[in-house]
Amino acid sequence: MLLSVLVYGFINSVILAMVALGFSITFGISRVANFSHGGFYILGGIFTWYGLIKLGMPYFLSAGLSIIIIGALGALMYKVILIRLRGLELSEVIATLSLGIVILELLRGLGVFGYEFRNPVFMDGSVDILGVGVGIQRIIIVCAGALLLILLHFFVHHTKMGLAFRGVAQQEHTALSVGINPDLVSMLSLAMGSVMCALSAVLILPLGVISVDEGYDILIKALAVCIIGGLESTLGVLVAAFIIGYIEVLTSMYISSALTSVVPLACMLGILLVRPSGIFGKSKEIEERV
Amino acid sequence: MNMLSVKNLTVFYENAIAINKLSISVNKDEIVGVIGPNSAGKTTLMNTISGLMLDTKLKEDRRGGIRISIFGTIEFLGENISNTWPDKRVRKGIALCRERHPVFGESDVEENLKISGYLSSKEQLKESLSLVYDTFPKLLAMRRRKAGLMSGGEQQMLAIGIALMARPRLLLLDEPLLGLSPNIQAQLVEAIKKIKQQTNMTILITEQFARPLIPIIDRGYVIENGMFAFGGNKDELYGNPDVRKAYFGVDYDEE
Ligand SMILES: Nc1ncnc2c1ncn2[C@@H]1O[C@H](COP(=O)(O)OP(=O)(O)OP(=O)(O)O)[C@@H](O)[C@H]1O
Ligand SMILES: [Mg+2]
Repeated sequence: MLLSVLVYGFINSVILAMVALGFSITFGISRVANFSHGGFYILGGIFTWYGLIKLGMPYFLSAGLSIIIIGALGALMYKVILIRLRGLELSEVIATLSLGIVILELLRGLGVFGYEFRNPVFMDGSVDILGVGVGIQRIIIVCAGALLLILLHFFVHHTKMGLAFRGVAQQEHTALSVGINPDLVSMLSLAMGSVMCALSAVLILPLGVISVDEGYDILIKALAVCIIGGLESTLGVLVAAFIIGYIEVLTSMYISSALTSVVPLACMLGILLVRPSGIFGKSKEIEERV
Repeated sequence: MNMLSVKNLTVFYENAIAINKLSISVNKDEIVGVIGPNSAGKTTLMNTISGLMLDTKLKEDRRGGIRISIFGTIEFLGENISNTWPDKRVRKGIALCRERHPVFGESDVEENLKISGYLSSKEQLKESLSLVYDTFPKLLAMRRRKAGLMSGGEQQMLAIGIALMARPRLLLLDEPLLGLSPNIQAQLVEAIKKIKQQTNMTILITEQFARPLIPIIDRGYVIENGMFAFGGNKDELYGNPDVRKAYFGVDYDEE
């Protein structure tokens, strides 16, 4: 029992981190809180499903295309809507949240409901970890998560565009006065966050059924992780994901699985009361931001 | 050869006039000073030349904040750039070192410089890095230090380094000596001179007092309340009793 808490808690935490990372990256760079995250997540999953099941594409092609389309959608959302609202935080939230809801409710209206909407796992089978049987898909998720973090770190610190991201995140006008275009950077940050959102959908959705309500759930989870970790800190996202991840698993094993969905929100409210800027918020360990 | 010419520039914040029909020109290879007291409009001028003012104006317009109005023209190398966005102006060769050294505080020194080499090729980046480290050996010694933790003087060196990384033809320095000890001021002035010698950049520099700049500038403008008050080469500046009194910190008695 304890070992399965350990193992499943770990996996659950990685899943939460992956879901939250896209949201956190976008916010950390451009200060846009992308509340259409849940909508993009489900849309990415449905596109993959459509390509794979309805059009008969190979899995990787269908998934890859979906990820690209969602990334482009994020960029487009910036270019068409958000660019006019920059600095009006409430309007940004309203715009992205509305778009997310439109996407999700449109999918519901189109009849996305039921067992039929399900992406297969990449590979069948399971392996034994610490005496606990774990499906290969979950192992893939954990490995992909680790790889993603490494790639992200490399991108941000060692590529020109990544460095520009850091510049804009820290001092927009100084970045501008050395020739970096913040609008371009913000647009790319939305594209990148959306790509990460769709990528996590491709990896995680095969664990269950694609449902519209999951979109709302994902948004809440991403938000909770980011708020608890301190909105723009990657380290914060990881720590918060592990806190919520383990509390969720403990709750479902020892109390009631019906209560797990309350955990992220409860933790978020708790943190907002005692430390509104999150565990790694602002000031502290700014180095980790982005 | 004329490099920059600002013609009849007028800038309003709401109904308050910050720059009033100001005309300024800078020739290639010159170091030109703009001298003026607090709120004379120096920063407004520099931000308008670099184009940052366009971005500020846009953002203010979007949030329905203060209304900024800009009139007049700015020409760079014969081309009217009044409506060119700041990042494009950097590509044309204008880089601004902003007032009060706003560096990338969470990055270390080297990362600050790398971020600022955004428009450079790999070789150019290397070249600019060694120019900056050569000019400010202190930065080399501190290259792994987080910029936000450095002293004001060190941050000012870094801020100049950041502007240098953009490899400008016209370098704009907005009050680089502000709030620094005379010792550090002298070091910076020396560094600016060296930059000039090594790169033949043209430099426009603002300051509240003329004295520390006199060793390096070719010409200077004195502006007050956003208006042209006096202009001339350094002998003319020093020769004018009003200017001397107000901007050289020289007392009547000293004469
Ligand atoms: N964002 C702004 N909104 C409203 N008024 C402004 C703004 N920025 C500057 N001003 C006003 O414009 C005038 C010129 O300011 P500016 O900052 O250009 O002067 P400065 O010469 O750089 O002064 P200092 O030596 O103090 O840096 C001042 O009266 C100032 O109050
Ligand atoms: Mg100023």
